[in-house]
Amino acid sequence: MDQALADKLKGLFATKLSREMQLYLDTCARCGNCFEACHVYASMPETRYTAVARAEVIRKLFRRYFRAEGKLAPWLGETMELTDEALDKVYDAAFTCTGCRRCVTYCPFGIDTQMIQSIAKLLLVGADREPKLLTMLADMSIAKGETIASTKDDFEKAMQNLEAQVIEKWRSEAGKEAIPVGVEQTDVLYVALAGAHSIVPAAAIMNAAGENWTLSYFEAVNFGAFVGNPEKTREISERIIAEARRLGAKEVAICECGTAYRVMAHQWGELPFKVVSFVELIDRYLTQGRIRVEKNKLAGPVTYHDPCQMGRNGGVLDQPRRVLSHLTDQLIELKSTRGESYCCGGGGGLVAMGEKDFRMKSGKVKADQMKETGARVCVTACENCHTQLSDLNEHYKVGHEVLFLSSMVADCLLS
Amino acid sequence: MGSAISYFILVPMVYLAALVFVVGVAFKAIALLRAPRHSAPLRVYPRPKAPALAALSDTFLMPQIRSQNPVFWFFLVIYHVGFVLLILGHLDLFPGITIMPEESVHMVGNGFAGVAVTLSVLYFLLRRMRGGVKDISVFGDYLLLLLLLFLFLTGDTISWANSWNEDGFVLGKVEFADYLQILTKFSFESPRDALDGSHYIVVVLHVLLANLFLMTFPFSKVMHTFFAMPLNRLRRGF
Repeated sequence: MDQALADKLKGLFATKLSREMQLYLDTCARCGNCFEACHVYASMPETRYTAVARAEVIRKLFRRYFRAEGKLAPWLGETMELTDEALDKVYDAAFTCTGCRRCVTYCPFGIDTQMIQSIAKLLLVGADREPKLLTMLADMSIAKGETIASTKDDFEKAMQNLEAQVIEKWRSEAGKEAIPVGVEQTDVLYVALAGAHSIVPAAAIMNAAGENWTLSYFEAVNFGAFVGNPEKTREISERIIAEARRLGAKEVAICECGTAYRVMAHQWGELPFKVVSFVELIDRYLTQGRIRVEKNKLAGPVTYHDPCQMGRNGGVLDQPRRVLSHLTDQLIELKSTRGESYCCGGGGGLVAMGEKDFRMKSGKVKADQMKETGARVCVTACENCHTQLSDLNEHYKVGHEVLFLSSMVADCLLS
Repeated sequence: MGSAISYFILVPMVYLAALVFVVGVAFKAIALLRAPRHSAPLRVYPRPKAPALAALSDTFLMPQIRSQNPVFWFFLVIYHVGFVLLILGHLDLFPGITIMPEESVHMVGNGFAGVAVTLSVLYFLLRRMRGGVKDISVFGDYLLLLLLLFLFLTGDTISWANSWNEDGFVLGKVEFADYLQILTKFSFESPRDALDGSHYIVVVLHVLLANLFLMTFPFSKVMHTFFAMPLNRLRRGF
């Protein structure tokens, strides 16, 4: 690695050294209590898949370049030079961690490995060593924001083509579009993912609730967050924020995508509108009696997988269970659930990157827990989780039907 | 030569160690306070009903370790309680501070605190010699534990030697108080007269190791003494 790149990476590292980050980097006692926290380690017990081992890669660089003890006493074994080989380790640490933060709940100090791995991802971006697919997807999202005027008509036509599917689930009120787009002074701006599965059920539910809503032109997913590029993360979020401001939206509802929800609701800061997950919206409609659903329409026991970014990291834990209590009498919790829930193994950009072999191996503990429930249906509220759980279901022959919570609700709507 | 080294360890080096400790900790604290704050909350859910109490519990009762590794937790509790008792025991030696009854020849904990921390550190050391914990350990971890082990062993020896000596407590609380008076008065007198016992060399070793520990403290993971609570506040979100 040439000196210029090393200096650039050190500079990028320094931008991440907030008070909290320094506490995380200075405090680990290497007690090893976090070992069992990680779903990757629980599925493949290799030390490099522990939270502490991943964090140590970054911690060693930190001590080497930002702490006197690392400069004066490298023989203590707590430092590492910034080299090409070191970047291989950084990559391995960053992209075997899904950022689920389960280890935060195991650490006696609450050290946040996801935060530490955000340094790893930034270093990889700086060294042009990040997964290019994620950067490409992030760039596409940003480009869509820049060229929205030219693609608006096509988008609206595509939505019109979906309206029949929405009406199939819930009749449309006279004079109302089944999928309203670009409506000003809207109460709810719904931000979906690319794909009918993320739009049709949500539209049916909001129409059934009589909501004054409109669909965002943009997809919620934030590939900038997955790849760990703060600039791209901000640009992708800003498209939605600008749209919500322009439309005068009172509330932005993020579809079933954990990372998109957490970035907007918990990592952005103050916004002139409220940000909720779509699950919270469904819960509100049911609680207020704005929608009704047929109970036990789907026969058999149901289990719920908490998406990490919505549950443990976003606080959406009770709402999906309340929604499910309207749909089934047979909710069976996974052995590790709510704040303790294991990551499915698809987070952190792994689903988008492919990585199927690693995802299947590292998701074994989740597949085992799914099997243990004896449920017929596994419900979740996150796109990545849905893909990963479906893959696990098939790979390990779990025998579940994997469903989105929104589609389950939409299929059970009562007039 | 030997007496000069002993004098250096028992007097000037103690001041140096205290200075490094205070300045080092202060420097770290100031650097942290000057660093920008992270803009987003870092808590995990579900949120406890009393986040402040939960953070206190996390810090002092370590429920995360108790649930995962009860044996490790047992030794951690023994170690930390023992360490606090040792601090109190040493404070008790300072002129004007009375914790144990003055007529008692024992330090706080009656010598058991020292045994407790020694056994705990021995367990921590053995734990680092096998399995995954060995894999994540670095040379510095062993060095720190060895430093603590020998610090406690010499402390225990001083404590036990008093009992073994046929003359009884030749180096008892009064003698150590005299030595500490030399330090607190900055008189720079030789402590040899005050510490007139056959195991004087063990006292010198004990002070040397304590000095090294103090000087290492601000630059090591032992800083978790100060950081554990702020970190647990972050996790509990208050």
